[in-house]
Amino acid sequence: MELNLSAVLDSWRFLLSGLGVTLLLAAGVTVLSLLAGTLLTLGRLYGPRWLSAIIVFYIDSMRAIPVLVVLVWVYFALPIATGLNLPPFWSALLSLSAHLAAYVAEVVRAGIQSVRPGQVRAGMALGMTRAQILRKIVMPQAVVRMLPAFGSLLSLAVKDTAIATVIAVPELMRRADAVAGQTYAPVEVFTTVMILYFLVIFPLTRGIDMIYRRVSFLGRS
Amino acid sequence: MTFDWSIIWQSMGALWQGALVTIALTVLTMVLAVPLGIVVALLRESRLKPVSALATAYVELMRNVPIILVVYWAFYVLPILTGVGFSPFLTGLVALVLNNTAYNSETFRSGIRSIRKGQTEAGLALGMSEGEAFRKIVLPQAWRRVLPILATTWVTLFKDTSLVSVIAVGDLAHTALQIRSQSFRVIEMLTAMAAIYWLLGYPQAKIVDWIHRKYGVTE
Amino acid sequence: MTDTLAKLPQGSTLPDVVIEYRDVRKQYGEFVALAGVNLEVRRGQVVCLIGPSGSGKSTLLRCTNGLETMSSGEVYFDGMPLSKDPRKNRLIRQRMGMVFQNFELFPHKTALGNIMMGPMTVLGLSEEKARTRAEALLAKVGLSEKASNYPANLSGGQQQRVAIARALAMEPEVMLFDEPTSALDPETIGEVLNVMKRLADDGMTMVVVTHEMTFARRVADHVVVFANGQIVEQGRPEQIFDAPQTTRTRDFLSHLGWDG
Repeated sequence: MELNLSAVLDSWRFLLSGLGVTLLLAAGVTVLSLLAGTLLTLGRLYGPRWLSAIIVFYIDSMRAIPVLVVLVWVYFALPIATGLNLPPFWSALLSLSAHLAAYVAEVVRAGIQSVRPGQVRAGMALGMTRAQILRKIVMPQAVVRMLPAFGSLLSLAVKDTAIATVIAVPELMRRADAVAGQTYAPVEVFTTVMILYFLVIFPLTRGIDMIYRRVSFLGRS
Repeated sequence: MTFDWSIIWQSMGALWQGALVTIALTVLTMVLAVPLGIVVALLRESRLKPVSALATAYVELMRNVPIILVVYWAFYVLPILTGVGFSPFLTGLVALVLNNTAYNSETFRSGIRSIRKGQTEAGLALGMSEGEAFRKIVLPQAWRRVLPILATTWVTLFKDTSLVSVIAVGDLAHTALQIRSQSFRVIEMLTAMAAIYWLLGYPQAKIVDWIHRKYGVTE
Repeated sequence: MTDTLAKLPQGSTLPDVVIEYRDVRKQYGEFVALAGVNLEVRRGQVVCLIGPSGSGKSTLLRCTNGLETMSSGEVYFDGMPLSKDPRKNRLIRQRMGMVFQNFELFPHKTALGNIMMGPMTVLGLSEEKARTRAEALLAKVGLSEKASNYPANLSGGQQQRVAIARALAMEPEVMLFDEPTSALDPETIGEVLNVMKRLADDGMTMVVVTHEMTFARRVADHVVVFANGQIVEQGRPEQIFDAPQTTRTRDFLSHLGWDG
């Protein structure tokens, strides 16, 4: 088997700009899903019962439906159903975030519930309000305790972006497919791209693990 | 806007077929990836440095790249590496097994490591052999740790099988997307696809929660 | 050390009641934790609640600031009844400090940060004022040099002293102690008891659930013996420890190996 690395070298700019789109999409998905997931959790834990029931149903449904299915539904069906026509990038951002938010919500809930009840009592004994206790005592500790799981979510956010190739978002996976098709060197191209993904995702998760090892005591009550 | 839901009834047979392929992929992948995961976990503990390094590299690579890329990669690389033509189903299966084995090996490794060394020593002190202590003391305890994680992996795998649709494996996602493009009943077909996945996946997610409650270790 | 433990004559000589428990009952399903408790705590008094585990003394303490809801009965603080709705007792809690068995320091805050938390969030003090107050309190419990330590880097005894300072930062009128030395290594119990002793000497009103009989004997003005959710005996420490009137008290004390 002969490797044709010139196929990769000739299109490195094209591939790298794809990586840029991947990172942008992943960053957007991370921010949006963190925001939405936290709101979902707060609504679930502290909202009225009906809201809590709806949120649990939403979370469990997203845990049941593949992200690809959410993605194609948002891209192909949503415009017809609502008239709202989103470009591929925005469709991907919306659907990947909606899906990941359910997982974020599970992680945030586990984090909040893992904080010892005695910590809440200590805040109450000081005369703090429920909101103050949540903001100043529970959440800061929960965030620390969530870090390892947050690392996996971050890597999931990057990995999920590759699925956006299905609706032609010009991210790394899509670009790789294009280059592979043009150059007839799929083995070289896909192998290179696989290494590229690894070089992005591996340090991300490792970095978070390292940070966690340094700050874990802040969440240990 | 008018809907024509009759397309769903007309396509019921095909969708059912697709769902069967999806389920078959999930089951077969797990059946293969559990023993392979144990093997890889043992290889990582090997005293031969190159063996453990290679196993570790494989696991870390698979855990840190998108599955859909592994699917594409398998599609192009497998025939070249082996010189044999693989069916889309077999290619998809290989990709999923490659990915899942890595995750399962981590599950088994952490499960076995979670059992304190004192437990093995207690077994040895009773006169058991290393193997006996592992089988009779470590494994039963590790199982409680491993089962909930395997259950979670199972649901993830069930959802990930949809990704092999990109290489035209006749799974549920691929079948539904095909019918959509032929019939132009986009909303109906995509909604039906989501609904079928939901019907299959929702009970699984609930069972996983139940397993976590029953076996989950709280620390 | 005994000579420094001379006490002010207080307790019954000071008439004003700060806390009054009136027929307090608490039931968990079938289990009766408190079976009708009546008790008064006067300003400046140190009241020690003693008795076997599960006798209801900690439950009563937690009812004092509404962390535990009563099944029936009333608790009055400074003449005001505690609300049945635990959320409405915030204002009363601000005037009572509480120290927990497991310290419950906030792990994400330094020793100083822990003490500043209450004044800043609840009293609305500026960071500067809260810091000044916190530094003074840390000095008072003898931990000035540990100001920037996180709880993870403090011994149990040090953590509990910070917890006492944290409660004092709210300038409470009453301090509640829930078995403050039960989770401590034997060698660090003394430093915590010393801080509590000084607090008592300063005239702080204190309700202390404790298994430290020596402390109760030397520091308390009033000792209350619990058994099965009821008060079986109460009085001045000399009376309780030297001349117990009930078999329950005698049994409890002899069980602890107390020989006066």
